[in-house]
Amino acid sequence: MAAADLNAIRATIEGRLATELASSPPLPVVFNNMPYEPTPNSSWVQCLTAFGANEYLGHGLTTSGYNRIVGLTLINIFTPLGVGPGANLVIGKRIRDLYNRVIVSGVFFDAPVGPEALGSPSPEGYFQTQVRVAFEFIEEL
Amino acid sequence: MATIRGESGSVEFDAAGSTLATIVGTRSWSLTITKETLDTSKHGDTFRSFVGSMISGSGTVELVYDPDATGQAAFIEDVVTTGDPADASFELFTTGSTNDSDSVTFNGIITDMEITSTVGELVIVSCSFITSGTITSNLE
Repeated sequence: MAAADLNAIRATIEGRLATELASSPPLPVVFNNMPYEPTPNSSWVQCLTAFGANEYLGHGLTTSGYNRIVGLTLINIFTPLGVGPGANLVIGKRIRDLYNRVIVSGVFFDAPVGPEALGSPSPEGYFQTQVRVAFEFIEEL
Repeated sequence: MATIRGESGSVEFDAAGSTLATIVGTRSWSLTITKETLDTSKHGDTFRSFVGSMISGSGTVELVYDPDATGQAAFIEDVVTTGDPADASFELFTTGSTNDSDSVTFNGIITDMEITSTVGELVIVSCSFITSGTITSNLE
């Protein structure tokens, strides 16, 4: 047992999305701190993973101890403006199904929230929805 | 003043009472030691008097269930020991894991085991025990 590898957790989350969106029909996906210039009137996905609270779960300090690490993955789905929400929700379902109550490499995903339409898309010029997936990882020291 | 936080505690256990070993995944323990009293009041007394009598203890240990965690299975399953001779040994630490230091040691019997699986929460095991024989306190 060892301290949690946050990069491995991030890779688990992002790798799952990258693999899905590489399959047909493929979609561009961009992650934290990556440059991306979207093509106007195209569909694309942005995935932002953040780690949040940690809490003690058991005795043991730095040996034999358990911690709960929780985090949130925000997935923004961008589709062309003015053509209705259908195409966006198709992508949203693919993403939702990907994480819905799934356990992968020790990462427990909750039931996702969304896709929820956002009134002020960022960047502008797209129809944007957001899927939020809370996750937790039990760290075993 | 040196206060202690709960997470520095631990529990050691051995079902056969020979070699104590840490149970991985414990998250709380409690122990209540009770001393019975005998009434020694006599005719003519105006205040009741007592002497201390038999001492016993009981408590609980709670675990974050992990079937692969060292020591958990032996601890949890001790409740199904038939004809239990009360040979299981316990050491409950407030801090550290140095035997006979900051701890209470005793032999005992696990009298209850409850395992709870709730949607959205970790599976938790709670075991109750009673002491049998001498309780040695090293809490000073």
